[in-house]
Amino acid sequence: MKRLAFISILSFLFFAGNAQKYMTKNGFIGFFSHTSMEDIKAENNQVAGVLDISTGEMVFQTLIKSFHFDRALMEEHFNENYMESDKFPKASFKGKITNLSSVNFSKNGTYEVTVDGDLTIHDATNKISTKGSIEVVTGGINANSKFNIVPEDYKISIPGVVRDKIDKSLGVIVTMKYTPLEKK
Amino acid sequence: MKTYVKISLFVVIFIALSAILAALYLFNLKHKDLAKAKPDFVISATLLQKAFEDNEKTASGKYINKIIEVSGKIASIKAVENNIVNISLVTGSDLSSVICTFPSITDLSKFKDGDEIILRGECSGYLMDVLLNNCAVIKDKKK
Repeated sequence: MKRLAFISILSFLFFAGNAQKYMTKNGFIGFFSHTSMEDIKAENNQVAGVLDISTGEMVFQTLIKSFHFDRALMEEHFNENYMESDKFPKASFKGKITNLSSVNFSKNGTYEVTVDGDLTIHDATNKISTKGSIEVVTGGINANSKFNIVPEDYKISIPGVVRDKIDKSLGVIVTMKYTPLEKK
Repeated sequence: MKTYVKISLFVVIFIALSAILAALYLFNLKHKDLAKAKPDFVISATLLQKAFEDNEKTASGKYINKIIEVSGKIASIKAVENNIVNISLVTGSDLSSVICTFPSITDLSKFKDGDEIILRGECSGYLMDVLLNNCAVIKDKKK
């Protein structure tokens, strides 16, 4: 499954022509949890992503171990107890901008978009639909989105004793700064 | 008998206090400063990337979660979110690199593309590149 996702990214990169492809390997995904007991956040700046502006297709992939917490122990629990990152090392998203016609990729500016797709975390896949923005800038494209996910939807079990310390629904922030994929 | 009770009470309180302190200590423990930690492996960026490209499974078992001291030439320096900087190292592959993420406090302003660097990082695994986290600069070799 994971290998399949990786191959799909690679094939996406190589076989569909290059001119319309934008990519980054330094994308950002962060998530945060806010409860009255504790605020938790984790950040990951090692997200690989490809955007095809001719079809609106988007693919993201990242390693679970790339998420960084302030507290070392929390990071360890996240990897070992909740995400089982040795067993399920990657998370991925494959989706599409549904209102591609409202984005003018040849004119700098910010455009509101809706993205539908499949989010795979912890070897569990769910369909998500989220609002976001595409910002066309000189020399690249920025994509931003904010949405919420429920850990239990991804078969992530959080023991009762700590469940109250973690938000029922986690906020996720995605920030990608794509540059054109150049043909070597 | 009374002394016995006093002593056991003292022991119980002492153990409880140490447990609470230990728990608090562990809970608040920050990440290791890799500049001071002993590396598990010392390797060049080219060989590290090749190890993952040749056999991801073997390399993952060997390197993931380990502290790796990597030497190489800087391919690119990218400022990412929240004052964090990613450095990519030149490898034998055009498509795959070693990407090193530093904590936000690290000052990397003296480095530029093409500089030689030796750094330590914790290996998170292989995506399209070998990914290192919590990195620290060990040495900058000027040309």
